[in-house]
Amino acid sequence: MAIQEQETAAEPVRLFRINTGSCNGCDVELAVTSAVTEFDVEQLGCRYTESAHEADIVLITGPLTVRARDEVLRLYAATPRDRITVAVGVCPVSGGVFRDSYAVDGPLERHLPVDVNIPGCPPRPLALLAGIRQALEVRRARRAGEPIREPGDRKQPAADNFPARGRLSFDASACVDCRMCRHVCAAGAIRFEEGEGGVRLTLWHNSCVFCGLCSHYCPTGALSVTGDWRLDHPAADAFRQVERGEVPYQPCAGCGEPIIPAAPQLLHAVFRRPNPEIEKLKNLCPACRQRMSIGVPRR
Amino acid sequence: MTTKIIEMGPHQLALEEPMYFRVQLEGDRVADLDVMPGQVHRGMEHLVMRRNLYQNITLLERLCSLCSNSHPSTFCAAVEDVAGIAIPERAEYLRAVADEIKRIASHLFCCAVQANAIGETTLFRRVMEIREIMQRAKEAIYGNRMDLAANVIGGVRYDLTPEAASYLAQAMEQMKKPLDELYLQFGNNPVLMGRMAWVGVLPREAAVECAVVGPVARACGIDYDVRKKSPYGAYDRLDFEVALQTAGDVRARNMVRLAEARQSVSLIEQCLAKLPVGPLSADTLPEIPAGEAIAKSEAPRGELMYYLRTDGSDFPVRLKWRVPSYMNWDALKVMLKGEPVANIPLIVNSIDPCIACTDR
Repeated sequence: MAIQEQETAAEPVRLFRINTGSCNGCDVELAVTSAVTEFDVEQLGCRYTESAHEADIVLITGPLTVRARDEVLRLYAATPRDRITVAVGVCPVSGGVFRDSYAVDGPLERHLPVDVNIPGCPPRPLALLAGIRQALEVRRARRAGEPIREPGDRKQPAADNFPARGRLSFDASACVDCRMCRHVCAAGAIRFEEGEGGVRLTLWHNSCVFCGLCSHYCPTGALSVTGDWRLDHPAADAFRQVERGEVPYQPCAGCGEPIIPAAPQLLHAVFRRPNPEIEKLKNLCPACRQRMSIGVPRR
Repeated sequence: MTTKIIEMGPHQLALEEPMYFRVQLEGDRVADLDVMPGQVHRGMEHLVMRRNLYQNITLLERLCSLCSNSHPSTFCAAVEDVAGIAIPERAEYLRAVADEIKRIASHLFCCAVQANAIGETTLFRRVMEIREIMQRAKEAIYGNRMDLAANVIGGVRYDLTPEAASYLAQAMEQMKKPLDELYLQFGNNPVLMGRMAWVGVLPREAAVECAVVGPVARACGIDYDVRKKSPYGAYDRLDFEVALQTAGDVRARNMVRLAEARQSVSLIEQCLAKLPVGPLSADTLPEIPAGEAIAKSEAPRGELMYYLRTDGSDFPVRLKWRVPSYMNWDALKVMLKGEPVANIPLIVNSIDPCIACTDR
């Protein structure tokens, strides 16, 4: 006698991908989460679907090109109304390196509601899984009418010791305000603001493409690449994903004019062993420095 | 016979990227096709002129993530040509290592996607698992699985410590057996033969006429590989054979790719053995004078050309590309003519089309 087995396994949550004109990095990594056992979305009870109307979670990659826009919006409109939308990589959120192009019509949020962001360029598969897990939580909370549970432990699994290029970290005490980092940043992720008390650096992780060029060219090591790649967050928090630091002004020891003194890291890079004479010069503004070393300010 | 026109998009074509075709059918056979490009047009020509030379290293790496190292390294070669910079020998070898690592991963991804396109899911997963060895190596050495960030103007910005070099050598050792197996499987497995041999044939004359490059050309017996024809970087000191096939079909293209992947393993091993000591970069912030230069390299998909003009400022005045997929797309018309509709996804993927590179 055949026994009708009761359906106990939960229906898989269906993931649907839309490429809005990406460089294919995020898409190739998403393909990995459907092909490689270690990173398979099945471990989260998910499965990829090829039909928009089955989508429970929509994963969107790319900066949204003008040419792709209509097709993307058509596809998105075909997905169910209660789908959760995930922006994969920094492109949909800020345009990444492609921002300010005539051919890009982002950010995505101007056209459709986004629930979760997964920064990265591209995000590594574990970051994708963490982001999808966050999307599942948003979905659960929304269905149950409950608030979203904060992800408890954002620490990375201990076994994962890859030195991945993650979030940039800023040490204001080493910064000399040369702004080389901003000069080399292709994504325009770094901003300097001159305030009352000092110069403030703001680095937005949703624009940063984690190339580390800023840290490569930083003469004092004020900017450094960390291994922290767990950056997924609710889209509402997009603008809170920043690294900030203020380099305080100090009065010039000569005339009292506010200046950014040379950091010890810079003096060590330039002089190897700075002598007391140099130490004295570093607290002076350029004009006072000239007066002290050559007697008169140069015209 | 009925003639009809259908449109096919990324979902029907099993492509990772948005590419659309208008296919004209006679019965169930392809009579003609039009490529409808532009979905991934991000205005790169405009963007590169609004970014300085340093920013362009990162921007160009994201022109396409599958050949992501070829773009910045060729761009840096053009800048170095303008400025008359000779990069240190160690940097030449390290650039070759980065290029070859990307080549293996790119070729394997192409083979995997084709296996998927013909419903060979087990093989698809197997190839992707083998590719993971390369992905892990990339992340361990460069910190990212797609965009290596290996190049700077004047050299490279990563180093292989003795530990990293021995880790990479170990990864290369791990690749040998699976790559040999895949070569035999794609060459001789009757199921794959049935789907891939004599399918999507590009005759040699048509290949010459379309000016195809890369594995697509070499599968038609065209002996053209930039690394051999006009060696750049360390390639004149490295020993390898140009992988050639003559059949010009899907199977031949994959045989070329897998033979190349196996050669890349050997090239990386040679680089590790010969890696000279010395600086990684010629100069941190070199002055770039006004001038123009052409640089080319063998990207995974074929010959990649860069034209650069500068005016002495650190913004390029002009940057132009010729990417391999552009010519290879054109050959699809020949390959697909007379083929059944069911073969379209396989044949399209067999040229390893890079839409991001071509639409820019």
